[in-house]
Amino acid sequence: MTLILMKGNEAVKLVAQNPLVWFARRILSGVVVVWAAATFAFLTQCLLPGDRAQIIINVRSGNVGPAPPAELAAVNAQYGFDQPLVVQYANYIWRILHGDLGESYQQHRPVVGIIAEQIGPTIVLAIAALLTAWAIAVLATLLIAGRDNIWSKLLSGAQIFLATVPPYWLATILLVVFAVNLRIFPVVGESTAMGLVLPTLALALELSGFFGQVVLNEFTRVLEQPFVTSARARGMSDFGVRLHHVLRHAALPGITLSGWALGKLLSGAILIEIVFARQGLGGVLVAATSSRDVPIVSGAVLISAGLFVLLSVIVDLAYRMLDPRMKLT
Amino acid sequence: MLLPTARPTRRFTGQSSHLARKMAVTLAVLSGLSQWAPSVRAQEGVAVKRGGVIRYGHFQEPACLFGGWVQQWYLQRQYSDNLVARSDDGKIAPWLAESWTISDDKKVYTFEIKPNVKFTDGTALDAQAIADNINGWLSNDPDLRNPTAAPYLSDSFESAKAIAPQRLQVTLKTPFQPLLNVFAQSSQGILSPSALKRGLAVNCENPVGSGPFIVDKWRHGREVTFRRNPDYNSAPATAKHQGPAYVDGISWKFLPDQTVRYGSLITGETDAIYDIPAIAWKDANSRFGILRHITGGTPLRLALYAARPPFDDVLVRKAFAYSTDRKAAVDTSFLGSLPFEGNGALSQSSPEYLHELGRAYTYDIRQANQLLDRAGWTERNRNGIRVKNGNSLTVRISYSNAFLKPDGEQALQVIQQQARVAGFDVRLQPTNPADFFAGRNLGPDDYEIVLLYWVAPGAEIFRISWKPDQNGEPNRFNPSRFQDSALWGVIQRAEQNFSSAERAGLYQQAERKIVDEAPVIGFTVLDVTLATSPNLKDVWLDHGSVGEPVFYDAHFDERK
Amino acid sequence: MSRFAEVTVSQPLREVLEFICNVPFRVAASLAIIGFFVLAAIAPKVLQTHDPLAIDLSSSLQSPSTVHWLGTDQLGRDLYSRVLEGAGQSLAIGLGATALSISVALILGVAAALFAGVVDSILTRIFDVLFAIPTLLLALVFVTVFGPSVLTEVIAVGIATAPGYARMIRGQMLSIKGTGYVEAAKALGHPFPRIAWRHILPNTMNPLTAMMTIGVGQAIIWASGLAFLGLGVAPPAPEWGALLNAGRNYVIYSWWLEVIPGLAVTIFALSLTIVGGHLQDRLEGKA
Repeated sequence: MTLILMKGNEAVKLVAQNPLVWFARRILSGVVVVWAAATFAFLTQCLLPGDRAQIIINVRSGNVGPAPPAELAAVNAQYGFDQPLVVQYANYIWRILHGDLGESYQQHRPVVGIIAEQIGPTIVLAIAALLTAWAIAVLATLLIAGRDNIWSKLLSGAQIFLATVPPYWLATILLVVFAVNLRIFPVVGESTAMGLVLPTLALALELSGFFGQVVLNEFTRVLEQPFVTSARARGMSDFGVRLHHVLRHAALPGITLSGWALGKLLSGAILIEIVFARQGLGGVLVAATSSRDVPIVSGAVLISAGLFVLLSVIVDLAYRMLDPRMKLT
Repeated sequence: MLLPTARPTRRFTGQSSHLARKMAVTLAVLSGLSQWAPSVRAQEGVAVKRGGVIRYGHFQEPACLFGGWVQQWYLQRQYSDNLVARSDDGKIAPWLAESWTISDDKKVYTFEIKPNVKFTDGTALDAQAIADNINGWLSNDPDLRNPTAAPYLSDSFESAKAIAPQRLQVTLKTPFQPLLNVFAQSSQGILSPSALKRGLAVNCENPVGSGPFIVDKWRHGREVTFRRNPDYNSAPATAKHQGPAYVDGISWKFLPDQTVRYGSLITGETDAIYDIPAIAWKDANSRFGILRHITGGTPLRLALYAARPPFDDVLVRKAFAYSTDRKAAVDTSFLGSLPFEGNGALSQSSPEYLHELGRAYTYDIRQANQLLDRAGWTERNRNGIRVKNGNSLTVRISYSNAFLKPDGEQALQVIQQQARVAGFDVRLQPTNPADFFAGRNLGPDDYEIVLLYWVAPGAEIFRISWKPDQNGEPNRFNPSRFQDSALWGVIQRAEQNFSSAERAGLYQQAERKIVDEAPVIGFTVLDVTLATSPNLKDVWLDHGSVGEPVFYDAHFDERK
Repeated sequence: MSRFAEVTVSQPLREVLEFICNVPFRVAASLAIIGFFVLAAIAPKVLQTHDPLAIDLSSSLQSPSTVHWLGTDQLGRDLYSRVLEGAGQSLAIGLGATALSISVALILGVAAALFAGVVDSILTRIFDVLFAIPTLLLALVFVTVFGPSVLTEVIAVGIATAPGYARMIRGQMLSIKGTGYVEAAKALGHPFPRIAWRHILPNTMNPLTAMMTIGVGQAIIWASGLAFLGLGVAPPAPEWGALLNAGRNYVIYSWWLEVIPGLAVTIFALSLTIVGGHLQDRLEGKA
């Protein structure tokens, strides 16, 4: 009897560790998260104080004061505000399943279209900043880990400083110094590579400070591992040791970090885009916030939640592939 | 954002139709000749170079490329033509309408439409097309209804129809002199009816007019690109030349951040920008060409809520005016980029403006204190704020950055400090635009002062601002709630008087009364300012009402 | 964390005293800076040279000098005094947001750990959702719905940063549960509140304190980011984010109006980070 029970337990464990099951569970929990985000987004639309139709009409025409009831009724009918909340919610979820995130109150276009066309530059900026931050962090770590000279102290201090600097402030300073005064980079960057440099730097420097500290910790820890000593004993140069052996181990937490970092970068990118007047999600979102264009803001929430879930699944997969020591739990 | 509720001023007098026709003929001959010449002699006697793309940095991106909101007017001016134009002395000049006549009862207008004009989609611009546009503005179709034309014309408009292929007839129910001024505004640019049939969403992205430029592409959040219309032949009489534009196109960029916008002009990445930051005003004047149009209508003014205490007492209103050195506040905050306007009733670009009223209520703290004492506000509390019957003299100022620049906000802070000396407790209520449009801080018990303005060519705006409430419905354009039947009587008499001298006299009488009663106090003007780089010539600002930049005559000089 | 270490209430006090007397230079400097700003927050008049609200149109836009140590703004107001005045507001917002954050996180984290099972799953999902939305976006959602104001800033930043703390608290509590120590206390008949007060909370709060110190700095930066976008307090309040927003307009010609407030935010947050990091090191050193 006990044998069967034990076998049963083993069986459950095996099933639980089966990659496919694990994957299915991850996807399911991801869907739940996205659904919760969608509901949250819907609630924000309903919680908007003030009559939604009134706001829409006034912001569109630039007039202040109450609008005539006939116009209000037309807008209410157009957006379905006059229906009961449950019906509105059902319609909302139904439309999302069909990829329709509603229509912007101010622009006469679907939210999906607006976000899709603006998200490109933001993603480019975020990824460029992520890669640059890694490059800076790794370089700094390779140079200073385990050493104790004046440079390592300075660099370490610089990392901590950069991790705390508000990126939008740094961006303004970079813009004025390097673009307006020194004219090394263009003021209106648009889609050129040169125009990407300053915004990327502004975002990347803060992140690199943070990454640098984490990687440094990991790096230093790994440097003390026995296999490093043996590599050195075999005649490998110090730099070679760092590069070939230590880095791989130290980079593992970096992958999880990157997932988190992309979320932080999105927040930062919004602010940086405003400073540099770049095209991207930042300008759209801030304008939408000013004009109470809730479909855009809540659409952005939903999309970012979806992207984040996707990203975390990928990160988990990558982690598992890179570190065979880890079991699927 | 400017409110598009403008009341035009100019009446049409019969004489100019002949002049207009002569001008049209002369220009047509000249433009015919110009086709043979590789370049045209411009005013300075320098050969005009064709080509190049103007990179222009604008401030705010609209949600749609045509319509009633003023940010759309700037763009619409580039790609569409109007029925008539307004010149800088306020007279109506021919454009798509080469001449026109008005019936004796002032109710029927007959326009002769310029022949051989086409929209850029190939369809003909004839009287029927214009009639379709006008009827659309005043219809109930939400895709076509125009929020600028409707408030002016919905009471008086009866019909618009084409009585011959090139002859348009507009019939009114009651006489309405400002009709032509309404038609001169860029929002009333004529669009292709067949293009309009495609629906609002398509037209917002890709409107089709007959103007000197064609909308190429709109990259949201970045720019709108225009290209030259090579077949353009319908320039207004106010333009400097006829025929196609000189430049190949416009790259109309949206740069809301003023550091980026002005910085881009300094580094040469743009050729012209809208709205110079106050701190750069002196510097800009020494390096760049500056164009400025002071918008007509009301100035940007403080409207005092006169329907309840404390500002229901005229003495207290005057005291507030005297206790604030608004001139110093504006001069320091705007650093000379915007002048102070002491006349709260009317903007200085209006023909009926009285200069002496611009110096009304100069700073006089003694006078302010005396008036407040006379009004019964004699006690002060511990903080120095005046008290009467247990109520302190609190003044809440509601405003929004949709209507007030950051420099203006600084000036309000100065006023806040100044008024405190006389015993006013001024509190600022900045409201974000969406809340403002939703009515926040604008309720009857929410403010003592609100900052607003209305755009119009001139004193017609008095009707909008001071019409008393009717049928229990408050006049939404009168935030001071000041109602005076004598004043209204004068305004109405002015509107019905067709002698320009008498009419101006009546309007000025109303103007004096408004400044004397002080339900509104002057602050500063509204303007449209452009800075252009030295090698871009012949950009000018339209005189319809707002002052949109016109790039049709612009060209780069030989140095580029 | 030692399995059988008993942490009593008096131990933290001893730790604090030890801590103060034996710190590296950078931590001492940071503490001094924090002290300076806290003093500015509580009693600004002691440190200010001018009235931060006094408008003096004749000395507008002056660069730093002996009279105005950090220059003046558009309306002639002394920037140094304004920055000090703003310290109080920014600190209040940072503390308020962090306090809200910790409170929410404590409730949710403790609940998730104690009541396991379904409640735990649901709460973890909620954390995941909040985590999935970028902080600024969440803040913008709040502002869109409730309109910009100080309260909205505090709530937005507070709720956006709560999940991080909640996860940490939950983790801590789960590990405490795992020690079996709580069970032992229960078996001895100790009432639950006593267990919570004497054992669970101190063990959780130690690492939390370090995180909070850093968190206040981060909250200030987020809040000033919102103000930077124009979604903050009303003028003439010299809150640091508002100063950064206003200074942007003048930065080409009057650099000090933008550089100085930014430095103030950075230095303050940096000091908090260094102190918090040191706390963390000490705690880990002890474990």
